[in-house]
Amino acid sequence: MTSTLQVPTIEIQGANPRRDSPRTRPRTFSLSSLVGKTRRAYSVSSAYPPKIHPALALPVPKSSGDHSLSVRDHVFGDVWTDPRQSLCSPASNLTPAQRRNSVAAASRRYEDFEQKMEAAPLFVLVSTYLNYLVLILFGHLRDILGKVFKRKKYAHLRTNEGYAPLVSDFDSFYTRRMYLRIRDCWNRPITGVPTRKTMILERKTTDFNETFSLTGRKIEAINFASYNYLGFAQNTGPCADAVQDAVREYGISTANSRLEAGTSDLHVQLERKTAQFVGKEDAIIVSMGFATNSTTIPALVNKGCLIISDELNHSSIVFGARLSGASIRVFKHNNMVDLRELLREVISQGQPRTHRPWKKIMIIVEGLYSMEGSIVNLPELIRLKREFKFYLYIDEAHSIGALGENGGGVCDFYGISPKHVDLLMGTFTKSFGAAGGYIAGDKTVIDHLRVRNHAFCYAETMSIPITQQVLTSLSIIRGEEGTNDGRDRIQKLADNSRYFSAKLRALGFIVYGDEGSPVIPLLLFNPAKISAFSREALKRGIALCVVGYPATPIISSRARFCVSSSHTREDLDDALEKISEIGDILMLKFKETSS
Amino acid sequence: MITAIPGSHLVIVYLKNAYQNDPFRIALELFLVFFAIKYMLAKKYKPHDNTVKLTVKEVDDLIEEWQPETLVPTLNTLDKLNLDSTPVILGPQSAKTRVSGHAKPLLNLATTNYLNLAASEQICESAIKTLKEYGVGSCGPPGFYGTIDVHMDLEKDIAQFLGTEEAIIYAQGFSTISSVIPAFSKRGDLLVVDDGVSFAVQKGVQISRSNVRYFKHNNMDDLERVLRDVQADQDKNNKRLTRRFIVTEGLFANFGDIAPLKKLVELKKKYKYRLILDESHSIGVVGNNGRGLTDLFSVDATEVDMIVGSLANAFCASGGFCAASTEVVDHQRLSGSAYCFSASMPAMLAVSASEALKVIRQQPSILKELSERAQVFRQVLSHKSLESLIRVSDSDLQSPAPFFHIYPKNSFLRSRAFDHEIDIPRVDQERLLQDVVDECAVQGVLITRAKYVHDQEKSCPRPSIKLHVTIGLTKKENEKAAGVVKSAITKVFGKWRK
Repeated sequence: MTSTLQVPTIEIQGANPRRDSPRTRPRTFSLSSLVGKTRRAYSVSSAYPPKIHPALALPVPKSSGDHSLSVRDHVFGDVWTDPRQSLCSPASNLTPAQRRNSVAAASRRYEDFEQKMEAAPLFVLVSTYLNYLVLILFGHLRDILGKVFKRKKYAHLRTNEGYAPLVSDFDSFYTRRMYLRIRDCWNRPITGVPTRKTMILERKTTDFNETFSLTGRKIEAINFASYNYLGFAQNTGPCADAVQDAVREYGISTANSRLEAGTSDLHVQLERKTAQFVGKEDAIIVSMGFATNSTTIPALVNKGCLIISDELNHSSIVFGARLSGASIRVFKHNNMVDLRELLREVISQGQPRTHRPWKKIMIIVEGLYSMEGSIVNLPELIRLKREFKFYLYIDEAHSIGALGENGGGVCDFYGISPKHVDLLMGTFTKSFGAAGGYIAGDKTVIDHLRVRNHAFCYAETMSIPITQQVLTSLSIIRGEEGTNDGRDRIQKLADNSRYFSAKLRALGFIVYGDEGSPVIPLLLFNPAKISAFSREALKRGIALCVVGYPATPIISSRARFCVSSSHTREDLDDALEKISEIGDILMLKFKETSS
Repeated sequence: MITAIPGSHLVIVYLKNAYQNDPFRIALELFLVFFAIKYMLAKKYKPHDNTVKLTVKEVDDLIEEWQPETLVPTLNTLDKLNLDSTPVILGPQSAKTRVSGHAKPLLNLATTNYLNLAASEQICESAIKTLKEYGVGSCGPPGFYGTIDVHMDLEKDIAQFLGTEEAIIYAQGFSTISSVIPAFSKRGDLLVVDDGVSFAVQKGVQISRSNVRYFKHNNMDDLERVLRDVQADQDKNNKRLTRRFIVTEGLFANFGDIAPLKKLVELKKKYKYRLILDESHSIGVVGNNGRGLTDLFSVDATEVDMIVGSLANAFCASGGFCAASTEVVDHQRLSGSAYCFSASMPAMLAVSASEALKVIRQQPSILKELSERAQVFRQVLSHKSLESLIRVSDSDLQSPAPFFHIYPKNSFLRSRAFDHEIDIPRVDQERLLQDVVDECAVQGVLITRAKYVHDQEKSCPRPSIKLHVTIGLTKKENEKAAGVVKSAITKVFGKWRK
């Protein structure tokens, strides 16, 4: 009994999408497969009603000392649930929220997304494509005319004095002809602390976004742009005080790599604490979030191994996977049916050409997808893991601290023991208000990484103020200070996220994201609305991120709200009112008009 | 019914006229329609598809059978040595630092704290001032409201310091070059790379997927040979001109020697290449004003297309930068993956770097002091008694490099080889050097071996001790430390394998 892996299993009868009859992957041409390419992003929340039932709201905190994952083996694995058991009698030691999340995960279907797209009127889709068509045609026209009449200005696109152009004509078309038009919506400089409000430095341009200059005016805006989930971006309070003391005592940097002579006792302390927090034996920390993935993955897999990666994985994972030399296969975003078919295919076929068995297979997924707001279907993934014996690597960049009742990330969110996941990676940039990242796993794995991880051997260490910030914020989250501050922040974030996304949906916007996700994408579709939305929001004092192709599929440009525990209810209401106003101007309330 | 559609009679008339007496045309068009339908219904074409058709049962069995390797192999002896020999610094990193396991503070020759900026009160105080205003984290990538005014100030400071049009900062020094190279050099482009470049550059070269040609380490004749080869090939096959880059390091991390920049610039101009120079280790310490190689060789910084450097080494802050023309920098703001997809540098660290730059600009005399320390140290290690035991790289006594590698001499190793050994195993050499390191620690000096991810290096450099001098130690302490290192080498090498 103890030897078998135990995972939470709550199933809804008939909810699992045709698991016993794997569909063949579509090979033949069909209109739906063409359209499917543009519809790859999806999320479950439309299928799972985002209504907040009072009985299912987050539970009341237990005692304050009860926060950490290590103290309490809150993992529910030790009680096996009969898969056929109905919803009414699930595993006993799950909290209601964890139970609800697992149930939602079990009822997820890939097809749900298509239903959601139906909600967008056809004319929006058509006009979006037309919009791009006009932009492309006009851009090419300008290029053609410009190359004839303004030879000097276009010199950098031609072979020049024996040098090939630094950026080729074709590659830069998108940047020159589309991004440049709306460039003012990105890289907006700020000053001060990026907390519930942020201070934006106003810029102006006299040459159609080629260059910007600061006007000296500052705009205060409600901040939905920073990943300040738990509100630890602060310049006062216990974290700031601790950081100040640490800098006075330790200085700024340790001036070498970890392996040579840059290991400080603070680093050792933080590694121990991080491991405890995420519920693993050991952990290492790296000075940059991006590098945490890009320097660890090559240390784990190499030639003859296979990486199976979610199609929407972050660029740092792609970077690391490419460096590793392993084969890479991609499955549809969060689609466990597709993953299952893929696994059957790759294990039975073995390595390409030689058909030798794979040395190992590692699946890399993210806990919370930052552009979709979707949460990985971990229960199903663990079930697949038991069946197919792959290794599981979860990037919790956005989910650590922000998901789960203890802030413990996706494992906590579903009530799954972290021991089922081989490697838990995360960053300190978001919920902890610091920088850098960690990898946690078994002691042997982490020791291996200590000598093989590139950043550990060559890169600078996490600097002292950052290390201290994480140490302090971590103990606040775990409730070690004897206060309820951490618990309150987590609760507030969960409340705010639910409230905000529910309200946006009620207003008639098309909103992606799973219930409970602090990342809330609002669909804009037309590329022209990207800039319009961003500028109108800024005019009304709201700072938010807008994203379009290539960060998202070409059709589904979106605005993204990152909710923080530092937002007050008034902030949210105020913002909602203004967003509603913008939604009316830009005709974004698709659901309202269609019903 | 068709006739009900307005205008349909025109189409019918047209069709009737068109197909009159033209069976060939009808056949052709029917064939085209048939072909189009067949194409649409055909299976997706996959080149080199050698999928084996298996029954469901067979697939199930194969899945049942498959056993993966363990996630990580067990540590080998060298790994264990590296892991166990990692010192833990207690308290602040400084020229005299406390190390776990040693009661007294050790004279520190193991860090890049060359200019003793780690101990600078001025820098710490400005960092704390920044903390009070900006908090710690930036909580977002530069594109999404993560660009703080202090970042823009730092970029301006660096550009001004080096004399380039602009600069861009990255959040980690190590990730900078491996992000800069692939931002420009794509599949099909050409990189001509020194074969002794550091790991970060190797990874940048690898990720770019460009065509790569290597030239012998710091050998300009070999570089010219490669460039000529490429040119000949280009002329012969009349290929399309692609982007071409020469990639090298200013001060080589793995060897401690310096690239001949003048010659490089000459060659790059002659053969029309762009030059990417990694100055991670030279910036802030080499040259009269600390501006790196361009300063040392009096070459205008704009002659080098991209100067990449780290703010974590000599500046004792964190992060990296790329200084170049506006066009090059602007392109990275959208294409530099480590810039776009990672949170920006915390404000405190950006300010620390700015302050460090200020210190170097205000007191260039500390650079002279540093090179004197290095010279004295080299002098001591070039003593006759060590001549048969070790080789110091860079061997030039006047070299401005503030760090160097100490290798056991080949002749020495051979003389101590056991009968059955052709080469002495790496781990034994490393252990010998570790014994020196341990002996020094007992005598009150902290030094370290150079550590590598040996199975992933292109060709792993020989085992060595990497020694960094610092002006945090007085002249006297420096001499004393040199004496300790010298006697430790004599002692440990003398006893080894006897």
